[in-house]
Amino acid sequence: MPDQPLQPFSPPTALLTYLPDGVSAGAIVEWSLYIVFAFWAVYTLVAIYHWLKYSHASWVAFPSIALHLFISFALMAYALSGTLFI
Amino acid sequence: MKEFELEPGEHVVLQVRKHWLLFLGELLPYAILAIIPFALPKLLPLAPPLAPYAEFFDYTNSIMRTVLGVWLLVSWTGAWGAFTKYFLNAWVLTNARVVTIKQRGFFKREVSSLLLTRVQDVTSNVVGIIQSLLNIGNIKVQSAGAEVEFTMRGIPRPEQMRDLIIKYIPENDSETTHI
Repeated sequence: MPDQPLQPFSPPTALLTYLPDGVSAGAIVEWSLYIVFAFWAVYTLVAIYHWLKYSHASWVAFPSIALHLFISFALMAYALSGTLFI
Repeated sequence: MKEFELEPGEHVVLQVRKHWLLFLGELLPYAILAIIPFALPKLLPLAPPLAPYAEFFDYTNSIMRTVLGVWLLVSWTGAWGAFTKYFLNAWVLTNARVVTIKQRGFFKREVSSLLLTRVQDVTSNVVGIIQSLLNIGNIKVQSAGAEVEFTMRGIPRPEQMRDLIIKYIPENDSETTHI
């Protein structure tokens, strides 16, 4: 067991110094968001398809879909509110 | 619910889903995921070697806002997906059969029917303190040939469901509802 206290390691932002020329941190954030939102869109479409196909007659279906879209768009707006001004 | 077509003269007697408390248990991992980014900045200072890392969770920083927004979006979408699966799983009792609808995943759906004329044995059991207090239990429906067995797990008021199934089992073949 080492008798020295733990040394703080570098924060993840230190990795940005290893980026190749021409690639900015903003571009990486932008493409990461594209990928996340694309996955979200596919997952949401598949789930909505299941709701509409199997439970369209239930009163829960449309409020559930509407609530999901409302909260998701609110979270997306919050996530983008920081990066729009980079 | 239109997963299966009711035959002429057939009607739905009862439709049940897993108890809501068990669903809340399935939501717990997503709730913990959602709380982590808010709890860590408060917990890290309690461990002195890790205290400096608490400052990374500054949500006025644009990158951290993005990370937090995406984290919460993923957690929320996962929780909503769990609700979707919970809602699409159901057991339906009609006056002629028991239908189990299992949504094991997206694009993986199983709908099975067992005619009440073939039911030989219906067993309900409630095991555990919480289950006994909230009346949550399982029902096992066995067919005459014993090759088919339906098990409904975690349903509310299992005795009521068992009694209803027994009530709708025709006493003999001449009283069988022909569908």
